[in-house]
Amino acid sequence: MASVKLTNVKKIYDNKVVAVHDFNLDIKDKEFVVFVGPSGCGKSTTLRMVAGLEEISEGTVEIDGEVVNDLQPKDRNIAMVFQNYALYPHMTVYDNIAFSLRLQKLPEDVIYNKVTNAAEILGITDYLMRKPRALSGGQRQRVAIGRAMVRDSKVFLMDEPLSNLDAKLRNQMRAEIILLRQKLNTTFIYVTHDQTEAMTLGDRIVIMKDGYIMQVGTPTEVFEMPENLFVAEFIGAPKMNIMHTELSCENGKYYVHPFGARLPVEGDKGAKLNELRVPGKQIILGVRPEHIQLAKEAGPNTIPVKLEVNEMMGSELHLHVYTEDGTRLIVRVPTIDLDPEQRNSLVQGAALNITFGGKVMHFFDKETEHNILLP
Amino acid sequence: MKTRKSLPSGIVMLIVAACLIAVCAPLILWIRHAAAMDSASFMETCQTIVHRIAHPFPIDPDHMGAVLLTILMLLLLAIAVVLVIVAVINLLRGPRDEQSRHMGLRTANAISNTAIHILLVVISVIWLLPFIFIVLQSFRVESTYQVGYIIPEKWGFDNYVSIFSAGSNFPRWYLNTFIMALATAVLQTVIVLCMSYTLSRFRFKMRKPLMKFMLVLGMFPGILGMIILYRILSDLGLTQAHAVPGLILVYVASSGMGYYVSKGFFDTIPKSLDEAARVDGATRAQVLFKIILPLSKPIVIYTILTAFMAPWGDFVFAKYASMNNQLGMNVAVGMNTWLATPSMLFANYTKFCAGGVVVAIPVVILFMCLQRYYVEGVTGGAVKG
Ligand SMILES: Nc1ncnc2c1ncn2[C@@H]1O[C@H](COP(=O)(O)OP(=O)(O)OP(=O)(O)O)[C@@H](O)[C@H]1O
Ligand SMILES: [Mg+2]
Repeated sequence: MASVKLTNVKKIYDNKVVAVHDFNLDIKDKEFVVFVGPSGCGKSTTLRMVAGLEEISEGTVEIDGEVVNDLQPKDRNIAMVFQNYALYPHMTVYDNIAFSLRLQKLPEDVIYNKVTNAAEILGITDYLMRKPRALSGGQRQRVAIGRAMVRDSKVFLMDEPLSNLDAKLRNQMRAEIILLRQKLNTTFIYVTHDQTEAMTLGDRIVIMKDGYIMQVGTPTEVFEMPENLFVAEFIGAPKMNIMHTELSCENGKYYVHPFGARLPVEGDKGAKLNELRVPGKQIILGVRPEHIQLAKEAGPNTIPVKLEVNEMMGSELHLHVYTEDGTRLIVRVPTIDLDPEQRNSLVQGAALNITFGGKVMHFFDKETEHNILLP
Repeated sequence: MKTRKSLPSGIVMLIVAACLIAVCAPLILWIRHAAAMDSASFMETCQTIVHRIAHPFPIDPDHMGAVLLTILMLLLLAIAVVLVIVAVINLLRGPRDEQSRHMGLRTANAISNTAIHILLVVISVIWLLPFIFIVLQSFRVESTYQVGYIIPEKWGFDNYVSIFSAGSNFPRWYLNTFIMALATAVLQTVIVLCMSYTLSRFRFKMRKPLMKFMLVLGMFPGILGMIILYRILSDLGLTQAHAVPGLILVYVASSGMGYYVSKGFFDTIPKSLDEAARVDGATRAQVLFKIILPLSKPIVIYTILTAFMAPWGDFVFAKYASMNNQLGMNVAVGMNTWLATPSMLFANYTKFCAGGVVVAIPVVILFMCLQRYYVEGVTGGAVKG
């Protein structure tokens, strides 16, 4: 129910560690924004600055247009779910959820309605009279979410709420968060280091590295048009294949030459290169594993590789291959595309030929690692 | 019986044995010495243990008691030595193999448990004797002086009646002590807990140096400042008849330095609980009262108890501040005036015992109510802090 705006926000810890550099972000009302990045990149720090748990060294944070830099957390009207749940161990689940409402001095019957309502949504009605220590991890997580839910706050903050759960429960809770989001209809900021969570939950994703924003965009944008090599490698699993190669231009047509092959750049990408008048030069080429195909036979536009590991994932195979010069690549092949004979031939050491189309290439500058197509 | 791992049980035995040796060895020496000098009987030796320090009094000679006690002590010492050996073997052997886990552990546990329990019973009897003695003496009405037997010949409440009779200053002392202890308990607990919370949760300039400074300052005995404190109190007019507020001031003044145990305990409570509460809309004070304190009940109780006990039993400073003015005395100082000379001791001995019992009552009640938490509190803060 509120917009959040961070302007030139910077965080310097006492030990002179700069955890966040010049963070600018405009979060719209009712938007679901996900901060994602590797460990230590400053996601939690940024979130905690929004919550008021961490002092803002420079810049301003606004909630609903009001600068909240100097407001205590209690005056910011936010709700937060912590990674370690942070349930009050001496209170029952009911009291945990009712805690903030009692601080607001709401009448007990209103509190009762709100708590039981939240408990119903989260499926924890049966545990309301238990203490947190008598709950499983998933149940605790629900209580933590319930506690944040009942507050009707302007912004809902979540710091890696699912990272303590096992894979199955995490998938389930992820779906529940999507449902919850539809029910609550408020502004969400969600922190995770898991790109799958980011992609599935976020309206917009903020990818961070070492305290810097690397890219802000919708899941589709960051997946299809990564601004730089870091984002390209971070988003998508298994991660994008990287090849150091040359981009050449012949009569307005562009070619890449990975490992001796010669592959034309096609479609939008070729047109864009043309439009930007990119000269032929050494570049970093990125191709996602699912965009590489196995070629039936060797040719001018195939790359000869040897199979190292064949990972059977069920509906698809992850083939870890290496080229003549030892570069490792990953190829993702749908199982359904292979006949049994082909499948049986995919043993360690098998010689394969791979190729990929001209529309799926990503080009990054060798020095700046910036996407050449995004000036 | 829970099965224990060999390493901790070995250490426990070692500690128990060490304590035993530390207690027994000097006691034996002392008893032998006492036996040679005035040859006290068994019961009277106990009497001596209690009162010798305060007032030596001639006791009938009888070698047997002292000899018995010496034998008992030697026995304890022998048990201690056995315990040491068992413990050392236990420690050396390390974790038991599967075989002995099934066969030997139970018997070994049973033996060591029995030994420890016998030991504890013996120790507690020795420990309790003086207290039983005092209670019994306080009901003795046939004479007021010290005697060589424990069970009174005639029972009655005369001593109690006399300390609460008109003209007795005892109620006044009692009230003084109670006011001081209560005020100190309340104020000190509040100060200590706030201090601990602050040092545990807030980060401010000079926090570390301040903590170190207080730690070092705490190493000097408080008595060192007595003369100058008296001077200050007397300038403020808070000595003699008005010693009570003065003493409260003294007891409470340095209480902030007692933050150590409770800060250690607070440090073990995850900070994200504070943060969750603050996000939930709590002020810092509400965090302290609604989250931190309910989670640290043991340490709060511990703080209250220690804060109450210190003024309740204080003698040195209370004596100094009251300066012989009966109106400003606490019980310890006041009752001491009953025993100022041998002739007074002759007249007031049983009364003194009665006074002692009355003094003990609130503390006993307090302990009985809070004892469960007290034990938890000490270990909880100490181990985790
Ligand atoms: N209290 C602190 N004092 C000093 N430095 C800190 C403090 N908290 C975090 N940092 C540093 O700030 C940087 C960012 O930390 P932050 O907790 O925001 O990372 P994160 O992105 O949330 O990582 P994770 O995914 O592991 O939770 C890290 O380099 C960390 O070492
Ligand atoms: Mg984090």
